Amino acid sequence: MADSANGPKPSSSVKLVLLGEAAVGKSSLVLRFVNNDFQENKEPTIGAAFLTQKCNLPTRTIKFEIWDTAGQERFASLAPMYYRNAQAALVVYDLTKPTSLVKAKHWVAELQRQASPGIVIALVGNKLDLTNDGSGSGGDAESAGGDDLGDARKVSTEEAKTYSEEEGLLFFETSAKTGFNVTEVFTAIANAIPETSLKSARGVAASHAAGRAEEQRVNLNGPRDPNAKEGCAC
Amino acid sequence: MLNLASFVQRAQQLLDPTQGLNLTDSDRNPSKASLFQSQFRLPASQHPLYEITAELTIPPAHVTQGDKDRGTGFQYAGKLHLSEAYMCFSTTPSSFLQSASTSTSSAFTGQTHGGGPGGNGFTFPLCAIRRVERLHSQTFQFALAITTWNGIAQDAPKDKKDVREQRITIQLAGTRVACERFCDGLKKGLRAGVGNVGRLKKVVSECYSEYLLRTEDKKNDTPPDAGLGMLFRYPGDPKKLRDRAKMRLWAEYLRDNGRNITLLRQPTFHKLIRVGLPNRLRGEIWELTSGSIYLRLEHPTLYAETLAKFSGQESLAIDEIEKDLNRSLPEYPGFQSEEGIGRLRRVLTAYSWVDADVGYCQAMNIVVAALLIYMSEAQAFFLLSALCDRLVPGYYSTTMYGTLLDQKVFESLVERTMPILWEHLVKSDVQLSVVSLPWFLSLYINSMPLVFAFRVLDVFFVEGPKVLFQVGLAILRINGEELLDATDDGAFISVLKSYFARLDESAHPKSENPKLRAVTRFQELMVVAFKEFSGITHSSIAELRLKNKDAVLNNIESFAKRTAIRNLGPDSKMLSTEELGSLYDRFYGVLYERQQRDHLLQQDQARRAKSSRPKVADAANSHDDPDVERGRVGLGPSTSLMDYDAFREFLAGMAKWAISDTPPTPRRDTFAEKDKGFYGSFRKSDVNLSPWGGGPEPADHEFLQRLFRKWDEGSTSALTLQNVVTGLARIKGKRDIMGTITYFFELHDDDGDGCVDREGILRMSEALLFLSRRGLEGTLNPSSMTPALNGLADGPGTPNNEVPGQTVNERFLGSVSAFIRRCFEYADPDHLKNQSADAQEREWERERERKMERKEEAAGDQLASPDAFAIGDDEDEDQDDLLTMDSPPGSPRAAKRSETPTSGQRPPSIRLNSLSAPSVDGDMSDRRRVSKAQSEKANVALDPSNPLHITLPTFRMVVLADELLEQFFESSFPASFHINDSLGSASTSVPASPLTTFSSLGIGAGRAVGAALGGASGIPAGGRGLRGVLDNIVTDGMRVAAEVRRRMEEAQKELEKNAVPGQRNDEEDDEDEEDVGFERGSEAGKSAAYRGDDERRSVRSSDRDLLAGADAEASDTNAAATATATASVTGRTSVNSDTRGGNGGGIGGGRVAGKVVGVEFDG
Repeated sequence: MADSANGPKPSSSVKLVLLGEAAVGKSSLVLRFVNNDFQENKEPTIGAAFLTQKCNLPTRTIKFEIWDTAGQERFASLAPMYYRNAQAALVVYDLTKPTSLVKAKHWVAELQRQASPGIVIALVGNKLDLTNDGSGSGGDAESAGGDDLGDARKVSTEEAKTYSEEEGLLFFETSAKTGFNVTEVFTAIANAIPETSLKSARGVAASHAAGRAEEQRVNLNGPRDPNAKEGCAC
Repeated sequence: MLNLASFVQRAQQLLDPTQGLNLTDSDRNPSKASLFQSQFRLPASQHPLYEITAELTIPPAHVTQGDKDRGTGFQYAGKLHLSEAYMCFSTTPSSFLQSASTSTSSAFTGQTHGGGPGGNGFTFPLCAIRRVERLHSQTFQFALAITTWNGIAQDAPKDKKDVREQRITIQLAGTRVACERFCDGLKKGLRAGVGNVGRLKKVVSECYSEYLLRTEDKKNDTPPDAGLGMLFRYPGDPKKLRDRAKMRLWAEYLRDNGRNITLLRQPTFHKLIRVGLPNRLRGEIWELTSGSIYLRLEHPTLYAETLAKFSGQESLAIDEIEKDLNRSLPEYPGFQSEEGIGRLRRVLTAYSWVDADVGYCQAMNIVVAALLIYMSEAQAFFLLSALCDRLVPGYYSTTMYGTLLDQKVFESLVERTMPILWEHLVKSDVQLSVVSLPWFLSLYINSMPLVFAFRVLDVFFVEGPKVLFQVGLAILRINGEELLDATDDGAFISVLKSYFARLDESAHPKSENPKLRAVTRFQELMVVAFKEFSGITHSSIAELRLKNKDAVLNNIESFAKRTAIRNLGPDSKMLSTEELGSLYDRFYGVLYERQQRDHLLQQDQARRAKSSRPKVADAANSHDDPDVERGRVGLGPSTSLMDYDAFREFLAGMAKWAISDTPPTPRRDTFAEKDKGFYGSFRKSDVNLSPWGGGPEPADHEFLQRLFRKWDEGSTSALTLQNVVTGLARIKGKRDIMGTITYFFELHDDDGDGCVDREGILRMSEALLFLSRRGLEGTLNPSSMTPALNGLADGPGTPNNEVPGQTVNERFLGSVSAFIRRCFEYADPDHLKNQSADAQEREWERERERKMERKEEAAGDQLASPDAFAIGDDEDEDQDDLLTMDSPPGSPRAAKRSETPTSGQRPPSIRLNSLSAPSVDGDMSDRRRVSKAQSEKANVALDPSNPLHITLPTFRMVVLADELLEQFFESSFPASFHINDSLGSASTSVPASPLTTFSSLGIGAGRAVGAALGGASGIPAGGRGLRGVLDNIVTDGMRVAAEVRRRMEEAQKELEKNAVPGQRNDEEDDEDEEDVGFERGSEAGKSAAYRGDDERRSVRSSDRDLLAGADAEASDTNAAATATATASVTGRTSVNSDTRGGNGGGIGGGRVAGKVVGVEFDG
């Protein structure tokens, strides 16, 4: 964000993989994060798409190498190829589609068992714009959710949140369409990556502590914290 | 001659293991037919019938290339082939790949090893041949002049000078006999083909070439559909592509060499393809070179019919297609329109219907969208089918094994051809397939700019999938330097991304030579791909595919298994992961093996059918279709449903009772070879042609049908893995006797109303006998009790113990007989008029039961007085297994009691042990309850003319009234499903024991008996034989019961006298919170001892009755059988004793109360 004046900060790259059912908005989340853009008709991802984006934290710069995987069920057997060596994973579901959360849980289980140990996993419910609490284009995100009637939401925040806490995941509800909470997800992941697993981490001690604190704050405040906007370069 | 030819061919197949093109079960020996089909891109219906060496002469008018010899025209030496509906000619050496070694093989591999219609020649459908004349020739014995229906769609105009008939001559080189035979075959084929001329006309009329070469008078015809490009322009700048010039060249070539279906391949043909096809002809040439036009010729209306047939229907594939329609080549204007999207929707949907195994895979949308720019919907539909079936098999299947396999192949090719780059990739941990997979999966369409991707496709359709590899290798080679600088995935990808973006730039921008400067990067790529990597042939790819296939499939399978198991839902949690794994293996193993067997059987039949046909057929190969291995999970399971027969086979692999009693087939224990890999073991073994393969023949019993129906939750007559897991989890998972009893009851409650009628009761007992006929498994108390009792307590006065071999299983028969009797006694009458009274009575009875229970509990603590429970009189006990409370003086119970602390003083530790034990004292109480209720109900219930039923509580009561039955449900029934372990090799490797007599049943005895009998015959199998016996039991049961009733009443009174309410003891209160079952269990220690004795006697009594029935059938085997059973059980029990010793101390060790008692005895 505004830290460029402080000179070069330690920079390190983080491999991040996106998993989730088809058409939950994985590619759209990435597109929003990388280009701050949204396309209604995005070509389906064949195998996987690769994109990069930097995320500036107060003390360091994280370069995300994002592997955006295909969501169709039969591509699932290719997934191990992409989450190999990943330090972070974004497991996405569509909060208007309960089956997509089931699929997301499968992915979480798969990652916990098969991916590199210590992988940081964030569970993300996308398409918040289709629900009442997201209808305010992300601006008015303080409104209490849960008891809305007549919106498209089929997965309650509580359900997903409880599950995330049980499994030790970061949890967010986002809208790639409005951009709500998207950068927050990536920032939280950046903060949650342990220093030790960063490739070219330099001067880690201070930023480590900061990162921890940051992570806690993000976690506690959850998805609707309007203050959680950190300095992602986008 | 013929024999020799086939021998030679066989030898070649053996010598050359690399001819495989598809992933077939004959990988190492691809059938001649499949090679033939691949070589000429013919449909799977075609088989090579005749072949002969021949020389093709194309008259001068048709010669466009090479040294024109005005006298003889242009000549090609090669092989002429005849199939059912096609005549094909191909020169052996490829016209465009001079460097490749010349094969002298007479098989159909040609230069491209079956890779495609390389070389010069033709592929004529016989219906496209108008006339064949035999010429008189001096040099050859046989010369044929062939006139084709070239330009048939034009309705040949009257003035002949405008029409140039296509006429070629072929000289056959062979013995006179061979030539004549070939000509005979040709004649027959031509006659059969006459009827297809109409279809031919329809098919070619949709080809653009017909319009291109139309005659003057048809100048204003509307052109056939040559794709969306006609409406929305073709991609690329036509000027830059020199489209007009290409079109002129093609027009000339087609005029001289025939168009579409009657086209002759000469060297110019391949050159014209290499420089890129003109837009409007592109679709047609793709269709021709891929062979999809022949598919269209077979079913010209299939596309339209499919759409009509499934119109309005929904499917998962359609949902997935809809998601992607708006995002397929969105940059092409045609796909921003309803027209283009509509076409794409229809083609993808139609294909998902005709090939449900593939359905829809992302990337197909991109490929089909690309095709639709150049061809009509129907053409694209058939071309997609040719792609999925032949060109890129397995790419789009549900497991995408073809994609993954070709990635492995590509990696090994890179390692082989560019070792330095490969080393760099390994060192910097860059995974190549991450980059290259989309290239292959979308045939470069979304990797390169479209115009270039189509150029690759032009060559791909004629030369086959090796092109994908050649282009991929060339891309890496050209960018090698930069790639060596890239150290991570990201850098690697961006190098290639920028390369693809600059394909139209000059490859040598700084060159002095303007000609060199004009060479684009794409041209460079093509040159590198086809020159430098000309060594990449179909055979090298086939070889690598073969090498990597198993590893890839195993990977996919372990992933699929992992995923499937994790997704099995909450019920699966009741089983261990190992159990789920085994279930998964067993489930798919059975399906796989059955499919393989079906396939072999079909082949066998086909062979037999063929051998009865005239000799001509011998030339044809017996392999009928491209033998794709079916059923293997990694290939995309062609089925994941288990029908009833498969279910029987599945159970027979897990449970002894599910194995048929009839002819003993030696069983191969597949799980013994587990370490070889599950499928490995199946494939390596010879698949037996018996309907059950090498496995045991599964039994068929009403119980199995019930189980199947119960598990088949959706009533689809087929089980999914989920159904099977859920079904088993409910039996095996809970380890809860009440649950198992309920389950068993529901299994027989046909209408789900909670009642089972008389017939149902009989069925239940049949099922019990069916399940136990091979011996009971699990923890069975009395069997281990016997020796202890014998040793410690049995006086000479207990004659029952003279035969220690009175096994559990024999006693179980008694239990079943008692079960029937009791069921009838406590059944509720079914009459409508009795209903209200009945209900009242039941209510009253329940109330009384509650009281009774309390009394019993109290009474249970009175065990210190041995006679407290002596109901009925000893003289009759032989007949009266309902009255098992009593014990003769000096019986084990007395002995035991002297050593067992009374319940009041029992240390808690023992109580803990016995918690897990099957309840036995509940048994006592039940019996008492029974005896009382009996006195009131039996009169009505036993009258066979009264319809009656039992309810679940009654059933439960009756089961719990018998220790053995109780244990059966507690442990034996769930334990009889062997999920993890194989069926004991002992019990399975040996012929199943025929159900000779009931006394021959025993744990492990069945086998021994079988051996002893030496295959004695004349024994009815399973259920039928039992039924007769059961009738005896029933009649007998009623008689006995009637007599017993009287005494029961007396006993009841006596009992009530003894059971004083005040005697409820403290322990009772302590256990209030615990399960009733546990409470019963806690008493087990005390009563087990009596039980042992009583059971023996009671069984003997009923045994006699049973034997009366069974003897008629096999009386002479009794003695031997019993003796053997005895021996085996003795052996077994001694083992049990040892175990008990090991368990010593008894805390937590005594799984069953009997064991606890045993410990005390031993000590």
